[in-house]
Amino acid sequence: MTSPSKAIILSSAVFLAGGALWLFGQESKNPVFRTKVDLVVLSFTITDNKGHYINGLKPSDFRILEDGILEKISTFAEGNKPAVQVNDDGSVRPLIASGAESSKPGIDPRSDAFVGTNVFVLFDSSNFMYRGFVYAEDAIADFVRGLDRADSVAVYSFSRNLSRASSLTRDRGDAIFGLRKTVAGDETALYNALLLTLRDAGKVPGRKVVIVFSNGPDNASMVAPDDVRAVAEDEGIPIYVISTNEVNKDPISSNVFRRITARTGGKAYWAKTWQKQVEAFESIREDLGNSYTVTYYPAPNPNEGFRKISVEILPDIGKKYRVRSRPGYRPRA
Amino acid sequence: MKAPSLVLALLFLTSLEANDALDKARQLEKAGDVLGARTALSTAVQREPGDVDALTEYAEFLVRYGDPDARAAYAKALEAVEKSGNRSKLAVLARELSVLDLIAGDRTAALQHLEAYHTAGGKDWPSSPNWKAAEAQNEPKQLVNVPGPLRSFGRMAAISSDINSDDVLPALARNVVTNGYQASHSNEALEQTEYLKLVHRYLSQARELETLAGADKVIRIETCDSANAGELLRIIGYRMRGGCGSEVVLETVNATRAFLTSDSGFPLAELEQALRTNRPFVYDFHAAPVPVLYGADYWLSAKEKESGDFLEAFLGDPSLCRLYLGMSKLDRQTADELRKAVPMPRLKAYAHVLDFFGGMFEIRNGKAVVPGGSRSDAAWTELVGVSPDQGAAFFDKLLAKDDGWLASLFDALARINGPVKEYLTDPARMKRFYMAVRGRVTSPGPARPVFRSNADMMLLTTRLRMDASGRPVIPGSIDVWKNLFVTHPHGKYDGKLTKAAAGWKDPDDVLEALFALCRKAVENEPLKIFMAVSDLDRSRAKPFEPATVDRLAREYHIYGLQYALFNDAPSVTDKTVLQFLDTAEAITRMKDQGLRADTAGTMQALVGLWQIFCRQGSIAADQADTTLAGLLAPFAQVHRDRDVFDAGKNGITLLLKATGSSDISAPQDRLLELLAGSASPADSDAHAQVVQEMSRILEAQRIISLTTLFQLDDNLQSLSRGGKLDTALVNRLASRVSEIQLPRSSLTTVERNAFAFGYWTERHVEGERKLNLRAAIDRAGTDAEKMKDIRGLLTPFLRDTVVAHSYAHYAPPGAQVLYTNPLFVRGHDFIGVQGANHTWKSTELFGTGWPSNGGGRLVGSLAGLPYALAEAEQNFLVPTQTQALIWGDLVPQMILSAKIPRWWNVTPAQVHWVGLHMRCARGLMAQAAVDPELRKQVVEILGSLAAPARSMLVARLLEEGDVRAALERVTPSEMFVLASEMEPRRKGADGPVVAEIRQLRSAHPSEITAAVVSRAFGTPKPTLTNSYRPELLNLRTFPTLMGYSSRIMAESWESNTLFWASLADELHATPSQLNVLIPEWTQKVVERIFASHLEDWPALLRSLRTVGDDIRAKAKLQAGEQKVALQ
Repeated sequence: MTSPSKAIILSSAVFLAGGALWLFGQESKNPVFRTKVDLVVLSFTITDNKGHYINGLKPSDFRILEDGILEKISTFAEGNKPAVQVNDDGSVRPLIASGAESSKPGIDPRSDAFVGTNVFVLFDSSNFMYRGFVYAEDAIADFVRGLDRADSVAVYSFSRNLSRASSLTRDRGDAIFGLRKTVAGDETALYNALLLTLRDAGKVPGRKVVIVFSNGPDNASMVAPDDVRAVAEDEGIPIYVISTNEVNKDPISSNVFRRITARTGGKAYWAKTWQKQVEAFESIREDLGNSYTVTYYPAPNPNEGFRKISVEILPDIGKKYRVRSRPGYRPRA
Repeated sequence: MKAPSLVLALLFLTSLEANDALDKARQLEKAGDVLGARTALSTAVQREPGDVDALTEYAEFLVRYGDPDARAAYAKALEAVEKSGNRSKLAVLARELSVLDLIAGDRTAALQHLEAYHTAGGKDWPSSPNWKAAEAQNEPKQLVNVPGPLRSFGRMAAISSDINSDDVLPALARNVVTNGYQASHSNEALEQTEYLKLVHRYLSQARELETLAGADKVIRIETCDSANAGELLRIIGYRMRGGCGSEVVLETVNATRAFLTSDSGFPLAELEQALRTNRPFVYDFHAAPVPVLYGADYWLSAKEKESGDFLEAFLGDPSLCRLYLGMSKLDRQTADELRKAVPMPRLKAYAHVLDFFGGMFEIRNGKAVVPGGSRSDAAWTELVGVSPDQGAAFFDKLLAKDDGWLASLFDALARINGPVKEYLTDPARMKRFYMAVRGRVTSPGPARPVFRSNADMMLLTTRLRMDASGRPVIPGSIDVWKNLFVTHPHGKYDGKLTKAAAGWKDPDDVLEALFALCRKAVENEPLKIFMAVSDLDRSRAKPFEPATVDRLAREYHIYGLQYALFNDAPSVTDKTVLQFLDTAEAITRMKDQGLRADTAGTMQALVGLWQIFCRQGSIAADQADTTLAGLLAPFAQVHRDRDVFDAGKNGITLLLKATGSSDISAPQDRLLELLAGSASPADSDAHAQVVQEMSRILEAQRIISLTTLFQLDDNLQSLSRGGKLDTALVNRLASRVSEIQLPRSSLTTVERNAFAFGYWTERHVEGERKLNLRAAIDRAGTDAEKMKDIRGLLTPFLRDTVVAHSYAHYAPPGAQVLYTNPLFVRGHDFIGVQGANHTWKSTELFGTGWPSNGGGRLVGSLAGLPYALAEAEQNFLVPTQTQALIWGDLVPQMILSAKIPRWWNVTPAQVHWVGLHMRCARGLMAQAAVDPELRKQVVEILGSLAAPARSMLVARLLEEGDVRAALERVTPSEMFVLASEMEPRRKGADGPVVAEIRQLRSAHPSEITAAVVSRAFGTPKPTLTNSYRPELLNLRTFPTLMGYSSRIMAESWESNTLFWASLADELHATPSQLNVLIPEWTQKVVERIFASHLEDWPALLRSLRTVGDDIRAKAKLQAGEQKVALQ
């Protein structure tokens, strides 16, 4: 814990402000404090051995562990249904952001903060996408139109720089309007753009995902994919990638896509044709509609490095079910 | 002022009588509370709305601070004076108001107030001008139609939508010349690039849409099933999926057409929405009329005239585009004379020379204006073959001469002013230097490549120094240069020059050689040496000794980039400079690359900190030399790791002592405080913010604090004397080490071998990760010598920590890389690619866009760190306009200009001084619209900074009374110079702004000097002046140059800081706030730039002003909200 005599300086970037602060800055008189990410948002999907989504599970059907330590679930939501508060006994009640509850760090006082998903679509408009630019736009427009009413969507595009074509909105028309204003660019700085998108997404309360639509090669980024992946992992933002390239054409990018999606709880698709792209988007939409989202405040854990998360389904529910979620996160400095 | 105190002040002020309130306001202003003074005056005016004195004082106050409410305040004061019948006061106020009217662009009101001025007996100004008559003299513009909306065409042709319609065709011409054609793969002809093919395709589609739009040029689709809906969809390449109604979706059917539709910004979403809701879709598709110089017919051949399509002919002929571009750079009078005298096909043949070197051509009264004036007329006649008296014929011949060499000399000489120009335009000398630069073989000329190829000549003529007797300064002595050319240590520069050098006796011999080398395509090393050493001497009380210059010259190719260090401390002695070179050489000789990297990194980082402290004044001038010498000494004696640690620790201690730090028990904190800059207690908030930002970066980079490292060192030393191990300290280090990750790389061995760079970085990081201090201590046991060596294990960490402080100091706004890649500092590669020693080379970015490595990293020395960091960050900026139109070289320079200078020691009087000069210049320009004599002087001064085309345009706009348009074409740095030069010439009372300038000068004689102001509001120019010391050089804005792209142009741009200072004065911000605000505002400016080409600095100016307007609006809104809250 912090020394009470020293001023507490909070990083402006910290939005999931936690209760526990402790001094890091060694012996500095200009201390830097680390803020534990107290509220962890965890999304996951459960499928059977044939890949079918398993729905209708209750909070009491899971156990969430961090480094093997059992966590107490704070809120629970299935698909795009409103989140519910989980009581100590495992029963649930509607999430009403009022009084003490709304003052908890990380809980947005807006009642709809945990309803639906905040979807950030990141669209590659660089030279590499030149040939498929318009088909990609069509596929993204279809995806936006088909999103659940509760979802919000932002459309960003990038080449050398990021462009915020449309800010987060529930108005599909606005999002498509922004998408259609996208301009074809030049070089490709995919991971720079993905980082900035994650930083934007990180500022939004509730559940969020980033969907990257690109053909893969990056020729201008300063940051490495795994550094960006680490940000997504720590923020709890699944990354989905739809690559318009063939999986074997660019093995380096394909490997990177596999790694960053798997490690963040998302998924990678290789969809060269328009039809495949539509299918990929459909699959993502299904994923969003069939996933579970829980939040919890981590139990005390001395590990300040990578914390491994595991989601266990109680044995009497189904041993053969598969859980897909991010493997863990690193508490934010 | 904070809200509660403002409430008290308001309560207090409302109880005062008007005169008391005015007194109070004066006192508050004098005490530095400008906002309080404004409130006091405003309250006084509200209480006594008819009080002429209060109204006048309030209006004058507002005009002095550039407040937008000043005009309204003057109008009220005038109204009150009219009632009082005070004629002399009426004349003064009416005159001031007419100036403000003109600045606001209201000519009608200005004329009314001018009339009031004359009616009230005003005599200083001539009778009311006839602006309309001047306007009527303009020939009507000839236009060509671009099909469809200009915005869509602009998107396809990469032309900013903010551009003035007059500039559309020049911008298009430039883009066609630079991006429209490429060498054919199959033959020697040029073929169109994809860019130009798309423009053609777009025009074709736009014409189809134009036909569909019909006679009224509006595309109308009444309902989803209208007959023309199908035709529209065919043209734009889409089809409907699903039947008409809410299910309809547009999808691509023809990708080529659909791409044009989307990329040109056709309102596809609106069309889709209209079809879904079965509502009419209406899209105005009127052609955009664009001015074309001299009309379309002038540019077309008889055959092309028949086809009648100007745009197609224009796009299809790059030479024509180049001529158009060249002609558009000339002032109207010069262009007209040239056009009338020289047939278009002949001009077209030399379009490349006109484009690059014609911008300074001027014909006045039929005569060519030549550098050197009448004194050099004969020389120009001899060189060109035609007398300057025959203006058009002179330039015709100049263009046709020697493929552009003489034209390039003309351009370089015309751009400069002062004693250097005097010297170089001496007839004999000019001829001599021309012969040198021309050489025997004139082809290819300097205008043949995409950029001007003899860029170095422009740098030489701009930066040459003259002594008090009007002779050029040759650093060291002529013998130094003679020896350099004769012995040429690193390869012969030029055989002929080597032979000639033996006989050199005169400075002109050296200059002639430098001019001669300007024509070479290879790097002009002697010129670079000359400029670098000349710049070193520039600020020194005593120039370097010839022996020092000789060594600096000979070792330039290895250590030359480090020389900028000495420019931040002109008191550094010859001995210490030589010691620096010795030390660097000793480090270069180290065989162990790991040790060399740690030694070079630690030494460079410490010297970098010394440079920062000298620049910021934390190390006094008389301490600079001894500190540097002390800091360097141990690095020359390094044999093992622990020596580097000791040298580093010694360096930190020396630096802290030199800055007068009495308590160095917490070196980390003290260092950060010093790096942020020396702030007074009143500025503690802004200072704390800067320190905090740096701390966050150090934390993100998992840096081990200096304090921890030094405590560990002390503890280890005590162990060798039988002391006890401090386990808490060791654990702290171990905990931090555990956070260091290996570079996240998935390179295969083959890839790693193929791309050898990065090896030493990985070894460095791996070595740090493997550190187990406790085990090492256990192994050392009681062996005192081994125990000493253990301290060497801390060396890599110390290197990273010291280097990280430089990174944090220069971190650009946002610093995404530093916050995201925790190994960015540790990854700095001081060795570089195998076989190419990068240890003393400039800092460069490596590994960008390579997903399989651990992200981009910096390689080389720390000499170019500020630029490299800004370069790494620029792609994280988010343009508000069409993406990817940001310059690759201009933006980093703008960022470093916002980060390197610090404004802790700037006084409110200095900020106000800049603001007053901006307002004074605005006023002068407005007065020049009324006073022809003043106009002449204003245009003459502008002519020394702006190209003739721009200064003549400003003159014409002023003559027409369009002051607002004229002001838009003048940069803040030009306005500052204009006011600085004109103010002393203005005799007597000349309004409140000039009066205040004079009052400030007399009240603050030491704060308000040209040198101090230049230092406070200038910019660093590492390429142009080999120095990071901020200064104002008042140069013409440079063009893009081969080898420098737009970097020199960016360095010659001095407007940003002056503009920000003026804005801060308007908003009553304290000077210390500039340290936080300028980086933030600069980022906004960069994100707002919407440029059409590499030399589009007017786009930068537009962005600067737009951001300024946004900041003003936001401040006004906040003030309004605060007022409401108080009420």
